[in-house]
Amino acid sequence: MRISQRRGAQVAVAALAAGALLTACSSDGSGEGGDGSTEAAGGDATCTNEIVNPDATQVSVWAWYPAFESVVDHFNETHDDVQVCWTNAGQGADEYNKFSTTIEAGSGAPDVIMLESEILPTYTILNSLADLSEFGAGELESQFTTGAWSDVVSGDSVYAVPVDGGPMGMLYRADIFEEYGVEPPTTWDEFAQAGQDLRDAGYEGYITNYPTNGNALNYALFAQNGWTPFAYDPANPQEIGIEVATPEAEQVLSYWKGLIDEGLVSTDDAFTSDYNTSLVDGTYAVYLAAAWGPGYLQGLSDADSEAEWKAAPLPQWDTNDPTQVNWGGSTFAVTEQASDKQAAYTVASELFGNMDAWELGIDEAALFPQWNEALESDFFVNKEYEFFGGQQINKDVFLEAANGYEGFSFSPFQVYAYDQQTQALFDMVESGGDAATTLQTIQDALVSYAQQQGFTVK
Amino acid sequence: MTTDTSTSPAPTQRERRPGRGAKGGRRIGSHAFLVLMALYFVVPLWFLVVGSTKTNSGLFVGSGGALWFNDDFSLVDNIRGLFEHQGGIYWIWLRNSFIYALAGGIGATVLAILAGYGLAKYHFKGRTAYFTVLLGSVMVPLTALTIPTFVLLSDIGLINTMWAVILPSLLSPIGVYLVRVYSQEAIPSEMLDAGRVDGAGEVRLFVQVALPLLRPAIVTVLLLTTVFSWNNFFLPLAVLRDTDLLPVTVGLNQWQALSNAGAGGEQVWNLIVTGAFVSIIPLIAAFLGLQKYWQGGLSLGSIK
Amino acid sequence: MTTSSAAVDRGAGPVTTGERGTSSRRTASTSTIDSKRQWWGWLFVAPFTVVFLLFLIIPLGYAFWMSLHNKGLATGGESVFVGLDNYVRAFTDPVFLEGLLRVAKFVVVMVPIQIGLALLCALVLDTLATRLSKASRLLIFVPYAVPAVIGALMWGFLYSPRFGPATDVFGLFGMTAPNFLSSSMIFASLVNIVTWQWVGYYMIIIYAALRTIDPSIYEAARIDGANGLQTAVRIKVPMVSSSMVMVVVFSLIGTLQFFTEPTVLRSVAQGAIPPDYTPNMYAYSLAFSYSQFNYASTIAFALGIFVFIGSYIFLYLTRKQSGLK
Repeated sequence: MRISQRRGAQVAVAALAAGALLTACSSDGSGEGGDGSTEAAGGDATCTNEIVNPDATQVSVWAWYPAFESVVDHFNETHDDVQVCWTNAGQGADEYNKFSTTIEAGSGAPDVIMLESEILPTYTILNSLADLSEFGAGELESQFTTGAWSDVVSGDSVYAVPVDGGPMGMLYRADIFEEYGVEPPTTWDEFAQAGQDLRDAGYEGYITNYPTNGNALNYALFAQNGWTPFAYDPANPQEIGIEVATPEAEQVLSYWKGLIDEGLVSTDDAFTSDYNTSLVDGTYAVYLAAAWGPGYLQGLSDADSEAEWKAAPLPQWDTNDPTQVNWGGSTFAVTEQASDKQAAYTVASELFGNMDAWELGIDEAALFPQWNEALESDFFVNKEYEFFGGQQINKDVFLEAANGYEGFSFSPFQVYAYDQQTQALFDMVESGGDAATTLQTIQDALVSYAQQQGFTVK
Repeated sequence: MTTDTSTSPAPTQRERRPGRGAKGGRRIGSHAFLVLMALYFVVPLWFLVVGSTKTNSGLFVGSGGALWFNDDFSLVDNIRGLFEHQGGIYWIWLRNSFIYALAGGIGATVLAILAGYGLAKYHFKGRTAYFTVLLGSVMVPLTALTIPTFVLLSDIGLINTMWAVILPSLLSPIGVYLVRVYSQEAIPSEMLDAGRVDGAGEVRLFVQVALPLLRPAIVTVLLLTTVFSWNNFFLPLAVLRDTDLLPVTVGLNQWQALSNAGAGGEQVWNLIVTGAFVSIIPLIAAFLGLQKYWQGGLSLGSIK
Repeated sequence: MTTSSAAVDRGAGPVTTGERGTSSRRTASTSTIDSKRQWWGWLFVAPFTVVFLLFLIIPLGYAFWMSLHNKGLATGGESVFVGLDNYVRAFTDPVFLEGLLRVAKFVVVMVPIQIGLALLCALVLDTLATRLSKASRLLIFVPYAVPAVIGALMWGFLYSPRFGPATDVFGLFGMTAPNFLSSSMIFASLVNIVTWQWVGYYMIIIYAALRTIDPSIYEAARIDGANGLQTAVRIKVPMVSSSMVMVVVFSLIGTLQFFTEPTVLRSVAQGAIPPDYTPNMYAYSLAFSYSQFNYASTIAFALGIFVFIGSYIFLYLTRKQSGLK
């Protein structure tokens, strides 16, 4: 086990540290002269927020939600026995990297951590997340959407409390479609045609962008056609099924490859400043987005004052059998290192467990709730978005998408899987490989990786 | 012996050098080359100057392009933004960067001077082996050791403290190497022996004889280690969690990650560019203001 | 190891026994003084030694210890002793080998470019004493004050196909700008960032050395009929060879640590810069992104030992030029 494994090193380190102190004192001491005035912040986490009740149990939380401070304050003001001590340990990968390190080091993890649902298996397999069913988390099931709940459970175990989600829709520039006399598409066939029509009518941009680093976006687009790449159950962690190269995925990838080859779709990396600008300045006519997408756009909304945005459902492969997919979404998990797991569970389940918090989350952080009470509230359902010219995008598009989502199974090495996918898709776009080979490359890489990690690959 | 080479020849002597004023054409050519080089090195910084006057979206769709001003001038707004965004944390980052750079730089220099002098002037047992190990470690990339360093720091309870950044940056094998090489030439052993005959103690010899002679080496190593600590990115990235402890490099990178984040990101490109611009001003000012100290000091390499 | 003892213990003679003492000015009694003085030597190096042990030797040792164990994701986190298996894996791992090759390529390309440019600037500056040349000297040096992270962030903007100035600049000459962030250009783009950052510093070091050469040497050369170029190549460059060695060491250190620039630039070029672009980045991804701390330690240790040996050999071979007798 980890503890015994590191015993030897610890002893050596402790001995040396003691030696270091002795030597530092007995030498002429000038070695430390330059930093004598530095005040270290101390070993314990310092909180970004104010603690209202200093006598209560403190629970440390890592999260990167914008406007989260007011949510934390609200929690602290309404709880006498538990207080949240919040740190923003970086966004996404930055936070995960730190978390992984604390797991390896055996200390330093927060009590509660914000994790995207796709990354949960990566940590359950390291036994680093507490099973919340012991604290009665199972009873929360009815409070959350089906898809979001299925992403955090395995059998009877509950590994996190869902917070927000990313049901997908199509955001489009109504002004551009109108200017060039093209109807917004509802199927992927129409979408390809619309791309061509826009081009023929003289539109110089692209109907949309296909980012090779679109990780979860690309997963969602494949999944919409019935792609289930991983069969993995945390209850049986030695086994994994990997089926990346399927006919469904190939159909989707060939479709995009075709649009790319015809020059109708660009292939800029997502989440760069180039991409952000293209989203808002009319370079892309369509933004295939998750429900948090509008919040993302608003950051640069003054870039093009002419823009007129509308939201519509994601185009479908088969209108008779519409499939809803999800891109992103986050949860609160309790770590195994948490000293008081009961208190930590209280925090994880109650931080966003009331409408006051959700009004902040919806208004200030553009989150899409997975908590039914917020999801069904008048406030949310009928919210009019100024950015969309007053359109009630939740009622029109995203609520239906959220209800249609049934969950998705990710691998316990999701970062690796994404990295491999980014690489393969980038190679395909840059050097012109075909869809089938590209998918096979990913498949082979993942299978050999899984075998190397000791999995039985089904 | 070339111990005295750090003093520059008088300018009048240089007047007679070949090439100076020999042919007008070549001087123009040389100047043109220098101007071209200066442009290459300065234009990217000009981008920061210009960028810091733009709004967030103005950076991307402004009228001026990448290298000229937009119609609106928002430098003041941006600087105000640095004071307001996340409660003005930017200034805490900048302060932290100073602390890390000074503590790391001065500390590493002191250690390097002591060790380099000791290695050069005392024939203690094990010195050869010691120096061999030191030579080998001069180029070992410390980034490769971050993982074990992390585990070690966490065992002694220093993770997420300023010490976690400062202590590892006290290590500068290259500094020791430089001082060792320099001491050997610059401090004549005869001088030390003479001092000993006069009854001076080893500490006094070091302070009164060696230190003044080592001044160029001190300047060089101080510059090297301070800039190294100032630049430090990987280590604080790994060992710090509290936003309040970050140096400005990691902090700005975090803002960039947030600006690029999909869900609920906040786009603050204007603050990133302005923050980057503001953060390099102190060091550049220090370089320009103190040039006569460091430029003379860097002639260290001329010892052969 | 042993060869260096002659190099280091020059002239002073063995100090522990004194029996083979060759120095005529030493008397029998000095050996006891010497042995007392030895302690002073250790005292002077002690503070550094502590830091050296704590942050270099122990981490290296710990990395080595970890590299001898393994922990599969699927095997429940149980750590098993595997001997040198991880090393066998590393040296048959195409990703690691490719990364090594890439770093070697950076060394071969980046180091000469930086030093060549720095030397050229220094030589040109040395022949001029105008206000313009002084100003240029400072301007060339200024990027050294810019942290690598900020430099890379900034160049990321400048490389942008949409907002960068490249489109306009190339347009002036009727050309289309290359995509600096494509996989074919990324190598050159990274070389450019590092060159931009460091050349000024190297230039100042070489320039400072050039200023210390006694000008009467040039006079003699001119009488012999040497022109400016010949003076530069035959006299100036050899006379600053010790500075050149230093500069090579600095630039090797920079290249071998290569991490910050590609990591930061990766945020705008994820396809062109894979997470395993250099061995350092590979070790980082393995550890922090993929939770493979044992294999990451293997990579780190293998790299560390490679560099350790290479560093020693290089500094030993150049000991004459660098003044290390």
